[in-house]
Amino acid sequence: MNQDALVWCLAAAVVLAVAAALVLNHRNRAITAKKNRIEAELTQKLGEAEGQLANLRAELQQHKARQAEAIREAEEAAEESTKAVLKGSARFLQSLAAEQLTLLEEIQRKYGGHAVLADLLEVNHANAQMARKAQGIAVMCGAPLGRRTKAASVYDVVRSAQSQIRNFRRVEIMQQTGFALKASAVSPVALAVAELLDNAASFSQQGSPIEVTFQRVQNNLCIVIDDAGVGMSDEDRQKATALLSGERLPRLSQLGTQPKFGFPVIGLLARQYGFRVDVTGVSRYGGVRAVVLLPEELWTEEEITPSETTPLGTVRSASARSESVARTAHGLPRRGARQVPIASVPDPEETSEPPATTSEEAGRAGRSLGAFRRGTLSGRNLASAPFEGSDDS
Amino acid sequence: MKDESDHDLELTSPLVPLFVITNGRSLPPDHAYERTTLVSAHEGASARARTLSPEARQVLDLVSDGFLSVAEVAAHTHLPLGVVRILLAELEENGLVLTRKPVPRAERVDRELLNAVLDGLKARFGA
Repeated sequence: MNQDALVWCLAAAVVLAVAAALVLNHRNRAITAKKNRIEAELTQKLGEAEGQLANLRAELQQHKARQAEAIREAEEAAEESTKAVLKGSARFLQSLAAEQLTLLEEIQRKYGGHAVLADLLEVNHANAQMARKAQGIAVMCGAPLGRRTKAASVYDVVRSAQSQIRNFRRVEIMQQTGFALKASAVSPVALAVAELLDNAASFSQQGSPIEVTFQRVQNNLCIVIDDAGVGMSDEDRQKATALLSGERLPRLSQLGTQPKFGFPVIGLLARQYGFRVDVTGVSRYGGVRAVVLLPEELWTEEEITPSETTPLGTVRSASARSESVARTAHGLPRRGARQVPIASVPDPEETSEPPATTSEEAGRAGRSLGAFRRGTLSGRNLASAPFEGSDDS
Repeated sequence: MKDESDHDLELTSPLVPLFVITNGRSLPPDHAYERTTLVSAHEGASARARTLSPEARQVLDLVSDGFLSVAEVAAHTHLPLGVVRILLAELEENGLVLTRKPVPRAERVDRELLNAVLDGLKARFGA
């Protein structure tokens, strides 16, 4: 009896347990199914959200690109308008400086015998530097360079460049050459060399020399500028080379408050006029060696005589007047009686000898000197005074 | 890049300004190298001078045959007098030229005095 009850109890417990297991199993399945469903839902939502995010990102990217473009356009427009404004003023300054240089030259010739000449020369120097800056800004803004109409010896072109920098006395041109630059190349090469000389002067010690030599390498004529500065780092060299090639032009707005537009200007000129500039060399003093490489289209081997390079009207008229005068080896009029040194107290016998006149001009010079001599004589030698007295007035 | 406002600017100033020709030297004192001072090159100076600027060389060549006055050198070279004086100072510093001071002018005799002498002579010799 007891055993029966126990068996029943056990059976009931088993049944209960089985039932409970079944129920639990069923519930478990339901939960799993629900979980799977929810998971799937969530995944789907996540996918959707991710899709939206990607869309938004793409949109943002587009906006960014558009904005960047707008900024670039605005910058370019600003650059262009800045350039246009600056170009106008630079051209004004450029022509004014050129005009002043011409005026100053005239004044210097007019007051050549006066002590004021010393000051005029200094003013001229200051003005030449200003003209260089004005030209540099003009070139940066795309304005054309003032041009020269006459070919000039490369030596004079370098001297012209020399005149445009502050410490021009440090520049030593070591040789004079027979090479001449064609007229169209004169101003751009002069400006480029001036910028290189200025650079050499600013990056080397005060008082150290800057040497300029010329070399012909195959079909190129090289202007070599050696300074005794500190040289450049590799990074500086790369930057300089990029600027000098003229391929990368910095914006005006990137030049900063102390703008250095020497190299960009050289780069632009080099590209426009077809020469090359290299500053990667090392000078014999350990500084920078800058080389301007001029292809044969820009120069000739003709010798330019100094009289041809003197552009003043007075020179032309003077040489035209004295066609018949004997010439020196340099094509200059030779004075007749100059071969014999003029004694300070001349021989009385010589006084009657007329100065050898070959032309009106030489005659005049001779007469005035003769009169001077006779005057001297009359003061010293009373015997000859009566002959000369009437001539002196 | 060119637009219509870009008219060509022609540079009419001399390529080499005078202050480069003088290499920034200052003017010699007034009494040195007056207009009438005579200048001549030393014997063999032309051969000794190697590193002269073309203008200094021109001056040296001009005075290599004998004495020439400073004013004449200026006229021949078409350079302003002051520039020639600076170049001459440079040449003399390098021992390439020698200068001779102008001969002092004979003193002007007082015209009245002369007239008095003439009158005296006339009175004496009855001319």
